Order: sequence, then C-alpha cells, then structure tokens
Amino acid sequence: MGALEGKVAVITGGNGGIGLATARRFVKEGAYVFITGRRQAELDKAVSLIGKNVTAVRGDVSKLEDLDHLYDVVRKEKGRVDVVFANAGLVDPVLLTDSTPDTYDKQFNLNARGVYFTVQKALPLLADNASIILSGSAAWQMGIPALGAYSATKAALVSFVRTWTAELASRGIRANVISPGPTETPMVHVGAKASDEGTSDYFKKMIPMGRLGTADELASAAVFLASDESSFITGIDLPVDGGTASR
Amino acid sequence: MGKLEGKVAVITGGSSGMALASAKRFVEEGAYVFITGRRQEALDEAVELIGRNVTGVRGDAANLDDLDRLFETVKREKGKIDILFASAGTGEAVPLGKITEQHFDAAFGLNVRGTLFTVQKALPLFNDGGSIIMTGSNASAKGFAGWGVYAASKLALRSFARTWLNELKGRNIRVNVLVPGAIATPMQEEVLSKEAKEMFESMIPRGKMGQPEEVATVALFLASDDSSFVNGGELFVDGGMSAI
Ligand SMILES: NC(=O)c1ccc[n+]([C@@H]2O[C@H](COP(=O)([O-])OP(=O)(O)OC[C@H]3O[C@@H](n4cnc5c(N)ncnc54)[C@H](OP(=O)(O)O)[C@@H]3O)[C@@H](O)[C@H]2O)c1
Ligand SMILES: NC(=O)c1ccc[n+]([C@@H]2O[C@H](COP(=O)([O-])OP(=O)(O)OC[C@H]3O[C@@H](n4cnc5c(N)ncnc54)[C@H](OP(=O)(O)O)[C@@H]3O)[C@@H](O)[C@H]2O)c1
Repeated sequence: MGALEGKVAVITGGNGGIGLATARRFVKEGAYVFITGRRQAELDKAVSLIGKNVTAVRGDVSKLEDLDHLYDVVRKEKGRVDVVFANAGLVDPVLLTDSTPDTYDKQFNLNARGVYFTVQKALPLLADNASIILSGSAAWQMGIPALGAYSATKAALVSFVRTWTAELASRGIRANVISPGPTETPMVHVGAKASDEGTSDYFKKMIPMGRLGTADELASAAVFLASDESSFITGIDLPVDGGTASR
Repeated sequence: MGKLEGKVAVITGGSSGMALASAKRFVEEGAYVFITGRRQEALDEAVELIGRNVTGVRGDAANLDDLDRLFETVKREKGKIDILFASAGTGEAVPLGKITEQHFDAAFGLNVRGTLFTVQKALPLFNDGGSIIMTGSNASAKGFAGWGVYAASKLALRSFARTWLNELKGRNIRVNVLVPGAIATPMQEEVLSKEAKEMFESMIPRGKMGQPEEVATVALFLASDDSSFVNGGELFVDGGMSAI
C-alpha cells in the first residue's frame, strides 16, 4: 500500500521541476493530485507524464481569483484536500543596489503572499489531520549575493508555519517547510545568473555533498511530510540541501 | 520491498523506548539490527519482541571498552555497517546551584563523549553512502528550568553533525540529528512526575505526547535513501513545541 493511499493533494507549480517530480511520487503513493501552473502546454505534458489520478488547473498563484478558481475545481471534483504543497516560486537574482520595487514585489507577491493565500483559501476544504508543505529554500539562512529579496520571501515561510502550527494543531493539521538546496531544475540556472561561473560550479562550491540535489530527492522528502509517517512533526523547516545550510 | 533491504544497522540504547520502536521498524523494512543496552534482561525482552534479524549486545555506550566489544561483534557477524543510530542518552533535572560534578559527567559522559566514540569506532566498518543518526533533544531549543546540563550536552551533537558533515562527505556518509520533544517512553515514566508530564503536554500544540512509533518513522526516513539529500541537519520531532 502506498504512503498516501486515498489522499487528495494540491500542488502549485506542479507542471515542472520539484512540483512535477512530487506530483508523480504522490500519485505513485496512491494520492489524487491537482496541479497548477501558468503554461498550459507544460500542464498538458505533466498530465500525460503523471498518467492517472491527476487534474491540471491552469492559474497564476499570485492572482487570488486564480486560486479561487483552483479550489472551486477541487471542491467540485473531490470535495476535500488532505495535502497542500505550496511550491510555486520564482527567483530574480538582483543585488540590493540594483533592486527595484518591481523585482521586489514580483518575488514577494508569488513566494510569500501567493503562498499565504494558497493555504488560507485551502482551509475550508482541508481535512482534519491534513498536511501543509511549503517550498522554502536553504538560502533563507545564508547570505548569497543577489538573493536578498528571494531569501527573505523564503524566511517568511518558516515564520508562517510556526504560527499556523499554533492556529491549526487543534484540527490535527500540520504545517512544515521543505528547504531545498540547489536542485537540478530549470530554476537553478536562473538562480546562478548573477555569477559568471556556470550553474554547477557556482553552486557546487556551496554544497558539501558536491552535487546538486535532484527533484526526486525533494519529492521523497515531500512524501515523508505529506504522509502519516511524520505525524509528530509540525512547525519545522526541513533542509533538503546536501548540507548547504549547515556547512 | 522494504526501505532498508539488506542494510545493517547499529542502535545504541535500543532495548527500550523510541530506539526500540525504531529497531523494530528497521527490521520490518528489511534491515539486520544490532541493539545495545546495559541491562541484559531488557535486551533479551527486546530481542524477543523484535523477533528476527536482531542481535543484542550488552554494553554501556559511555564505556569505550564496551564500544570496542560491540563493534567487534558487528564485524564478526556482518562485517559492515550502513546505519548507526546513536540513541543512548541520559538526563535528569538539576537546577543551577545544585549541579554536581557527577551530574555533569553523567550527561556529558554518555550524551557527548559516548556518542562521539560510538561514531568514531563505527567508522572503520561503515559502508560509503551510509547514514549516521544521533538523538538530540528539543530541550536544547527551549529553556526548561533544571535541564541546563542535559540541553547543553544534546546541542553538542548538532555541532558534531556540522563538522562531521564536512569530514565525511568524501565517503558520502550523511550525519543528522533527530530531535525529539516529549515522547511517551519508559525513560519519561521514570524521570518525570505527573505534574511535569502535564506541563510538557500543555506545551505541545496537539496536547498529546509523541509515541515511540512516531519517532521510529522519522528515524526510518533519515536511515533510508528517502533522505539522500538531507545532511548535516536537525530534524525536530516534537509536535511543534519548539516552533510556537
Ligand atoms: N531548484 C532549486 O535549486 C531550488 C532551490 C531552493 C528552493 N527552490 C524552490 O522550490 C520551488 C520549486 O522550484 P523548482 O526548482 O521546481 O522551479 P521550476 O523548475 O522553475 O518550476 C516552477 C514551477 O512553478 C510554476 N510557476 C511559476 N510561477 C508560477 C505562478 N505564478 N503560478 C503558478 N505556477 C507558477 C512553473 O510553471 P509555469 O511557468 O507554467 O507557471 C513551474 O512549473 C520554488 O518555490 C523554489 O523557490 C528551488
Ligand atoms: N523520551 C523523551 O521525551 C525524550 C525527549 C528528548 C530526547 N530523548 C532522548 O532520546 C533517547 C532515547 O530516550 P527514550 O526516552 O527512548 O529512553 P528509554 O525508554 O529510557 O530507553 C533508553 C534506552 O537506552 C539504554 N541506555 C541507557 N543508558 C545507556 C548506556 N549508558 N549505554 C547503553 N544503553 C543505555 C537503556 O537501556 P539500559 O538502561 O539497560 O542501558 C534503554 O534501552 C535518549 O538519548 C534521550 O535523551 C528522549
């Protein structure tokens, strides 16, 4: 029997990278999965890759009406949610000196505000004992040039889950962050943009394990936090970073 | 197929509590497990409970000769180690002002010194790609009156993990600290009064202590390839007590 047999999961940013790898693992473990993303073509590809027990809902997590639409679809099709994986995020590497309100707002609107409302709007559908998982980043507790605003958006998530732990524990609902280190997805190449070195060289120096993580390694951590195997874990930040934040 | 098929695990303090629950789970997932403890009777009961694929080795994890004997047995029987769960630990409440040398040495002698030499003596037998798990305590992140020495000894493990992460990365051996909060184990029964238990329970968001089995699942995660990119970290299993 799978670790998520019969569970209903919502994964934002589920049409690529870590979100897609997680959606595949969740379905393998017995879950039904709703995925979102802005690009319809990538959503379609993701659905055929996942193969079964998946519904794609196109939408932008930074737009609250799109979130309403997402949960309308979930309510109609399944009526409840057991796992929310608020994973959609973006990085725009820019030094403090060059930052603009636009570079700042773009990252906060999706990574912090979008995540906050992804969870708030899920609440009416959330089953008792549900699991909320947010995609943070090891960067939140480091000092990486050009990732100032990005890292701060991710620090906010570590704070969110602490409050939500206090607010939601009486319903048995758990809330945790997964903080990836540099992971082999399209995003990691954007994150390295500020450096002249290639992506791998730039990040490898930071990672004690000497290699990037894979989306599948993040997915197995997400399965753990989504499942009852982590029933006494809530309010934490789980670094899945090859030691990057601990070195 | 189990998550630990064919793996060899050594679990100190494995005859009771959360480490015993972990030993049981590891065997269910396909591992062969060596457990230790000082009381032969408790070890025998644990071996019987686990039922198969387990060897009990009597010994004190604070005693280096006993550790040598443990790893000689492991070497003879299996020749290698994939997972080390250094869980044996001790603590009692003594407030500043009443702390004696004996109190300090008991906690640091087992929790820090014992854990260090458990890991060091295991290393020659370790397979590359293995996993080392040490048991901390969320007391290190709180300020429970009376638990200062215990809390400090457990936080030393967090520091070890950071250093060893870098020393062992060439062999791809991962090192993490599992950090329990209040867990309903025999140790708790022994050291905590009814009032103290209620006090701890009131600090847990869900209002109920953790069960040893809820720690065993986390030990399994850290022991298995599911956590292959989790390294040098601490994983709190405390129901959110230290988060709020
Ligand atoms: N990869 C890393 O090294 C790394 C490291 C630390 C943290 N993280 C975090 O992990 C999460 C996933 O990252 P990833 O590496 O998998 O990124 P990715 O490869 O860029 O994938 C991101 C996914 O999110 C979707 N998305 C982006 N903006 C969206 C929006 N406004 N609304 C809805 N969906 C949106 C994208 O699809 P569309 O473009 O179609 O919308 C895409 O499928 C992010 O939160 C990221 O910050 C990643
Ligand atoms: N229970 C909690 O709430 C809690 C919270 C935070 C951290 N912890 C930590 O979690 C670990 C396990 O605790 P537990 O509550 O499961 O304890 P437990 O039920 O008392 O079990 C402790 C086990 O360790 C063995 N042990 C004790 N001293 C030893 C020594 N010097 N050498 C070898 N084995 C020894 C005991 O057997 P013998 O007595 O026969 O040696 C027993 O098998 C400890 O490190 C503890 O500090 C517990």
